[in-house]
Amino acid sequence: MDLADEIIINAPKSRVYAALNDPEILRQSIPGCEELIKHSNTELEARVVLKIGPVKARFTGTVTLDTSGAPDAFSLTGQGNGGAAGHAKGGADVILTEENGVTTLRYTARADIGGKLAQLGSRLIQSTAKKLAAQFFTNFQQAVAPAEV
Amino acid sequence: MNDLTPDRDDRTAKLKGIGCARKRVEDARFTQGKGNYVDDIKLPGMLFGDFVRSPYAHARVTSIDTSAAMALDGVIAVLTAKDLEPLGLHWMPTLAGDKQMVLADGKVLFQGQEVAFVVARDRYVAADAVELVEVEYEELPVITDPFVSLNSDTVLREDLAPGADGAHGPRRHPNHIFLWEEGDKAATEEVIASADVVAEEMIYYHRTHPCPLETCGCVASMDKVNGKLTVYGTFQAPHVVRTVASLLSGIDEHNIRVASPDIGGGFGNKVGVYPGYVCSIVASIVTGVPVKWVEDRMENLMATAFARDYWMQGKIAATKEGKITGLWCHVTADHGAFDACADPTKFPAGFFHICTGSYDIPVAYVGVDGVYTNKAPGGVAYRCSFRVTEAAYFIERMIEILAIELGMDAAELRRINFIRADQFPYHSALGWEYDSGDYHTAWDKALKAVDYAGLRAEQADRVAAFKRGETRKLIGIGLTHFTEIVGAGPVKNCDILGMGMFDSCEIRIHPTGSAIARLGTISQGQGHATTFAQILATEIGIPADKITVEEGDTDTAPYGLGTYGSRSTPVAGAATAMAGRKIRAKAQMIAAYLLEVHDNDVEFDIDRFAVKGAPERFKTMAEIAYASYHQAIPGVEPGLEAVSYYDPPNMTYPFGAYICVMEIDIDTGETQIRQFYALDDCGTRINPMVIEGQVHGGLTEALAIAMGQEIAYDEMGNVKTGTLMDFFIPTAWETPHYTTDHTETPSPHHPIGAKGVGESPNVGGVPAFSNAVHDALRPFGLRHTQMPHDHWRIWRAAHELGLHG
Repeated sequence: MDLADEIIINAPKSRVYAALNDPEILRQSIPGCEELIKHSNTELEARVVLKIGPVKARFTGTVTLDTSGAPDAFSLTGQGNGGAAGHAKGGADVILTEENGVTTLRYTARADIGGKLAQLGSRLIQSTAKKLAAQFFTNFQQAVAPAEV
Repeated sequence: MNDLTPDRDDRTAKLKGIGCARKRVEDARFTQGKGNYVDDIKLPGMLFGDFVRSPYAHARVTSIDTSAAMALDGVIAVLTAKDLEPLGLHWMPTLAGDKQMVLADGKVLFQGQEVAFVVARDRYVAADAVELVEVEYEELPVITDPFVSLNSDTVLREDLAPGADGAHGPRRHPNHIFLWEEGDKAATEEVIASADVVAEEMIYYHRTHPCPLETCGCVASMDKVNGKLTVYGTFQAPHVVRTVASLLSGIDEHNIRVASPDIGGGFGNKVGVYPGYVCSIVASIVTGVPVKWVEDRMENLMATAFARDYWMQGKIAATKEGKITGLWCHVTADHGAFDACADPTKFPAGFFHICTGSYDIPVAYVGVDGVYTNKAPGGVAYRCSFRVTEAAYFIERMIEILAIELGMDAAELRRINFIRADQFPYHSALGWEYDSGDYHTAWDKALKAVDYAGLRAEQADRVAAFKRGETRKLIGIGLTHFTEIVGAGPVKNCDILGMGMFDSCEIRIHPTGSAIARLGTISQGQGHATTFAQILATEIGIPADKITVEEGDTDTAPYGLGTYGSRSTPVAGAATAMAGRKIRAKAQMIAAYLLEVHDNDVEFDIDRFAVKGAPERFKTMAEIAYASYHQAIPGVEPGLEAVSYYDPPNMTYPFGAYICVMEIDIDTGETQIRQFYALDDCGTRINPMVIEGQVHGGLTEALAIAMGQEIAYDEMGNVKTGTLMDFFIPTAWETPHYTTDHTETPSPHHPIGAKGVGESPNVGGVPAFSNAVHDALRPFGLRHTQMPHDHWRIWRAAHELGLHG
């Protein structure tokens, strides 16, 4: 399954890049994220509660960040296990461009899903994944550049 | 006789015997929701089992931690392979001579495989505990394609010694199960090499699933005081289950009672032995209380026996006039992780070699390679005799493709190749002896009934209109003439786990002229209690309404091999007739004594024995029954009972002609069945209404299989069709109207001439639906496209033919 989209964040590139590496901002942004522990600059451990159709499960997993493309590109790979509900692994590539202090974030993401989650049919998974990704970046946008009240 | 004596027609009608459209006696309880299924069984103190299943298709199990599950209130036990190993029950034999893990022993080989068995106070606690069992896996490469499997370095079955023979001979690769061959390969290849015309195609019969309405389950109850184990379950073959349970557990067979209550459909899915049965029995033996296990829908679809999954490479040779000269077929059979096919022992590809079909083909060859993959085990006959639907689909597609090659009408091509009525009994090139048939009569009747010439003219007009841009809908005429092979079978060549495939019937006539008959089979909706009573009514002259038919309890019923493969009427039906004849023979002696004449001077007359030439002197069967229990008759034992174990001399060969007329919307891929005509010849017809019901049901399952139903896997081995949202079950919305018809060519070797019909509509229906799709697109160059023909695949086929502009 592949996902791709782009969003605009009202903040300079350097701030967006830093936020992508900030566990607290990531924790606020990831839908259902209960805990995000930073083991090193590139190793994170996450606990996320996800609900897809009739399956609700707590996933525990590891996330590896790749910052070698800084400050323009950022990659992450991860895998998670939800026990009886199934398992997932995947990754995302993010490219940042800045114009007049506004950053455009383009991402492509891929995921392989197994177990009960996968059996629910790809249409449900695809739409849910899109919704979750959109929710992540909406949350991220809010966390990085809160809309002025 | 006097005016009050009912005439012979009235007396015959009163019996409701063979040929009567008697209403099903089972339906009174089924239509009122009063059936008694395995999940209705509730025993005092009963516990519930549930499985932890593998989310991976291929992985090592590195650890199983049951402590959190065991800590949950209400959890009694969590079984793993380690617990079963000391009992030797962590693996079990399959029906195909292979072995299968009961619980994951070091690795898992398909998604949904049983890993641990939780036993708890109730179902909800069991389900909660399943979530708490922590299993660590280490992923291994997944193989879901049998062709890849035979060339892969990944060994799926590490438990099998490399290079060692399997149950069916040499294995040429670690993932290879067997090569099974029949026919004359060299002669067939020679004919093909020198033929005028050869049609060649790879025909895939996709993996699907019987998906009975009721899933599989059981209640095991070990009575530790009496040492007796009772197992209630959804068993299509309860006696075989008893024998297997005895062999596996070491409990003497007389101390095991297996009982099948009402079964909500089987279709082959409930023939095999599943880990749930073994685990429930072990759990009941360990705990000393009853344990129930009933799987849910997703478990049924992803882990219990699948059907089909045959890749059939075919070559058919013919003269330029269309006379078929030879047939060659090689099958790559995907058997999944364990070879658990339910076939007679000597036939690892079932009766696939019926694939010469209804045609007089002088020389033929079949080779079948069985292959392991990371998919669920099974390979059962889903509403067909063993691999017969695959064979029928193969030959009926090859005929259509040959017709394209020859530029001939497919109906005419069939006609000139049919086995003629005067050729029966017919010996096929692949070794079968067809008992009886009259294909030309059936075919002509079918073509006339649908106005075949008129349909072809309409189709041509529609193609012309399509080309002029006036319509976007095409018409397909799907033809099929199938020949089945059912009624397994003669003990000389048919057995399951060494047990000959005879069947049995035991009859007791009660003093007041009613009766009970018990059989070795078990109805799963076929209506045995209705139809077997009809056979007896005609044979012994007691009204069907006064005959109870009972099956499925091994403590009371005589031993039999069960119900699947349309074997009940050909085998147990024959046993019923033969037991009835034993009753009649004794009744004749009693009647002669009562009438004070010699045995030879009385004759059977519908419901009585009468003195020859003096029909006014008679004794009814009710009178004879009464006398048998209440009168001392010199030289005759009291009572009126009989038992028959019937070993059929041959299979039976039902056949039929089906025609499907379908409209296809080229732009959406949607299909509409405009007409479906089904002519069945099942020999003697016991109950026309039950036959019609069977045909309707079988055709609807055929519609499902041909038009959308499949078990699909992604490359990671995930089952993509594990719920009824994705697995197609037709509803009233999709189901078309069917027109049924018949001819009647009795089986010469069956006591009443009956052949069996339950599976014919599935065997003949699938090629009829599929051929209709192909026929619609034939004018635009379509040769073959794989099933299932869902809207998307039909749209894609039309698209590839350039029909979307």
